[in-house]
Amino acid sequence: MAVYGWMGKLLRVNLTTGAITTEDTTQYQKYIGGMGFGYRIIYNEVPLETHPYDEASKFVMAVGPLTGSGVPCSGRMNISFLSSWSKGNSILDAHMGGHIGPQLKYAGYDAVVVEGKSPTPVYLKIEDDKVSIEDASHIWGKGTFESNRIMTLECGREFDTAAIGQAGEHLVNYSTLNTSFGNSGGAGIGAIMGSKNLKGVAIHGTGSVKVADVAKLQELNNYMLRDLIGANNNHNVPAVPQSWAEYSSVSGKNRWSGAPGRAWEKAPGGPIDTGEQPCGDINKIAYRCLKGVFDYGEVAAHYIVKQGGCSSCPIRCYTEYEMDPLAEYDLPVNTSNTCMPVLYGTDFYPDGVKDFKYEGDARVVINGASSHAQDDLGLWCNYGNLYREFKWLCTSGRIHEFIPDEEYNSIPWQWQKDGDPRFVVEIMRRIAYKEGELAVLGEGTLAVMEKWNLGKEWMDMVSASNQNVTYNGYPKHHGAEDSAQIGQLFNLMYNRDCMIHHLTNVAQSGAPYEVSKSVMEGFFGKGCFDAQKKYTPINANKIKVAKWAFNGKQIHDSATVCNWMWPMTQSPSKERNYAGDLDLESKFMSAVTGIDYTRESLEFDAERISNMLRVMTAISFNIHFGSKNLREDHDAIPAWIFDKEPDFQPFEEGTIKMDRDDMEKAKDMFYEAMGWDVKTGIPTRATLEKFELGDMADDLAKRGILPR
Amino acid sequence: MSDQKKTSLLERQMTRRQFLKISGKSIAGLTVSATMLSLFGCTQQQVDQGEVVTWAMPQGLLVVNAAKCTGCQRCEINCTLTNDGVCSTYISRVKIGRNLHIHGKDGLLNRNFVYFPDTCRQCKDPACGNACPQKAIFADDRGVKKVDPDKCIGCGACVEACPWHMPTVNPETSKSSKCIACGACVAGCPSGALQIVPWDDVTAAAQEIV
Repeated sequence: MAVYGWMGKLLRVNLTTGAITTEDTTQYQKYIGGMGFGYRIIYNEVPLETHPYDEASKFVMAVGPLTGSGVPCSGRMNISFLSSWSKGNSILDAHMGGHIGPQLKYAGYDAVVVEGKSPTPVYLKIEDDKVSIEDASHIWGKGTFESNRIMTLECGREFDTAAIGQAGEHLVNYSTLNTSFGNSGGAGIGAIMGSKNLKGVAIHGTGSVKVADVAKLQELNNYMLRDLIGANNNHNVPAVPQSWAEYSSVSGKNRWSGAPGRAWEKAPGGPIDTGEQPCGDINKIAYRCLKGVFDYGEVAAHYIVKQGGCSSCPIRCYTEYEMDPLAEYDLPVNTSNTCMPVLYGTDFYPDGVKDFKYEGDARVVINGASSHAQDDLGLWCNYGNLYREFKWLCTSGRIHEFIPDEEYNSIPWQWQKDGDPRFVVEIMRRIAYKEGELAVLGEGTLAVMEKWNLGKEWMDMVSASNQNVTYNGYPKHHGAEDSAQIGQLFNLMYNRDCMIHHLTNVAQSGAPYEVSKSVMEGFFGKGCFDAQKKYTPINANKIKVAKWAFNGKQIHDSATVCNWMWPMTQSPSKERNYAGDLDLESKFMSAVTGIDYTRESLEFDAERISNMLRVMTAISFNIHFGSKNLREDHDAIPAWIFDKEPDFQPFEEGTIKMDRDDMEKAKDMFYEAMGWDVKTGIPTRATLEKFELGDMADDLAKRGILPR
Repeated sequence: MSDQKKTSLLERQMTRRQFLKISGKSIAGLTVSATMLSLFGCTQQQVDQGEVVTWAMPQGLLVVNAAKCTGCQRCEINCTLTNDGVCSTYISRVKIGRNLHIHGKDGLLNRNFVYFPDTCRQCKDPACGNACPQKAIFADDRGVKKVDPDKCIGCGACVEACPWHMPTVNPETSKSSKCIACGACVAGCPSGALQIVPWDDVTAAAQEIV
């Protein structure tokens, strides 16, 4: 059973019985890994009627053939389970970066299936084939940072760990699993683990990922790093002019924010200037992304120690801060994050915040406090819905309708007025500990609507607090603002925010539109890539792009590689006319696994996973609502997307307001391209059998929802 | 060999010997010329604070700048792909993974983001080689200490003897994996935290001090 890429076995841990076994994974290889493995295993083993927190529920941590293989940006791990908070309680994933995914590979596993429920708090220790369930009663109740610290001290310095926080322990639906660097998997995995009394995992592997063609892999690595990779989100031109570069960002801003004069100012031994980072110079790539400066402007540099990130990735998107003003409030000063937790902390202060030490540093420091607190508590934000809904509570004038007086009076509002960083920490603490009515915010947007009787209009209204892209409980990520109908389409497909970056990475790259358009049209044909706020009616080439992005996300979450970086659509290289290489995933798959993949064959395998997602979603909606129609019940689009910006008509320059008829036509075309019934949006038998998913077609037929 | 070439070689060896003397102590406390600092890509303050360590390698001076390390593990990846034909962190001859979460004396658990790669020092009097019961660790004609896989029995004496535990017994081959100064880690370091400055350049910069 010599295998390249894959490790060839999965680990099964039953927390009820304590049984620990392994199984051959060869049968799952057509599902690639990660998400694909997770979906097939959950479908086979967990009836979709199962309550997510029931003992019979399971979760699958899985990596793929490229994870830990040395392919750049291959440090991610995918975790599949049933949703506790989005409509239909169907299948979804948490995705996490850091170093722990590769460790799982080196320990010898493609996946860990966790089932049952431990009677007492435990953590899972994996050291190659030595796997044990360890007592965690002494760390239960602690935050993720302290929990990871204790597990590392107990297991050893070579272990990578991840822990749930108090949010997961209290079965807060919005909860995460976090590493000691703040890498997190969200979507409620914290409470799924909490319901099993599983506090965390500690993994160390002394093994290796076997590579079929090492010389080819190294050649591809060098090719990618010299000619293709840009900065974070693969932005392919620098934010500000550099002497070697033909272009810099049209807006003067993007995630290639490192530049001469911008430094890691708090680096030990004095500031390290990020300098110029020419295309082709492998030894300077790590200075391209200076994420804090992208987020807050140059003031952030005063607090930056260095940039960090995931195993194998030369783009360091995690800004690692030392925010000394927080010490005055007895809050931790070191924090690292790259996305939501460190971006929107000021939403908790609708009246504004005040600077601490430097002009304009208020946002930086408040976010330092909120980021650390949120990661420590293991609280998830549902791509910002948590912040939006708290802010709405404060600004709508309706807070007294929902929060009882006694609870209201116990909230330290003076801290909010003063811009005191402890305010956001305290609000998050209450939500994570499920204290009071405020904690409804942590149960999910649907729970908030139901409990506070907000009605369907909550998701239809035109408001900054409403970014909900379906009626299923999650916001857009990223949608029509970057790619019109394309973005809107793939945002409809999942049971959480879609997190597809294929198009936003091109649209926000900073390259002139004509340059990006030429690259995209070279790949997908005329009219496939609109200018932002100047979009055209749906057409066949845009459907091609939508399908590529939707299936492509499944490649990334299964292989696993990072969808914030991949695919390599554009390049910083003038010699290449800024065009990337969309075959690169399949080239890497071939080099690592020794199986001859083409872009088409890899996308075919990914489409199998897309269909599993669709089938499982259809079954869940049928179970919970008697639904026979995903188009109407899952893929419905809230009114605000069509009604915003009343002064504009759709397709006018200046708006991304969508058109109802055009979007319905887009759905027709997309379902057709996917081989799904146009009326119901459910895969047909012919489609499922094409992907060897006949058992799923039978299941749909048995339930009476297989399209005729 | 021309006289010019001979002089150059001699100077290069002298410079190398000077650096061998200070190897292992970091270069803190030394006043380094502006040219040398520029060559090393570091500042006098970094030198003074002990962020920069140098080690004499056959092909040049290995400069490790802790402040620049971003923990991406590409050094370990390139080490193992090049030398083992597989990808791994445990058997890597350069080690960052074990420093990510606990570093040094305080068990800092990255709270200060202190992490950097440990590298083989290519010691002149190598503890690993001295401890090897099979005499499997030998110096090649460039002075690089290497493991003879035919002699190595994977006993781990070298791992224990090395004060920094740099060699590792590969559990898949039962052979010691030890740095051979190939430079793959340096070539692929995306932040320049690892670099090798060729001896000719070091020598030229050193002459400026004189």
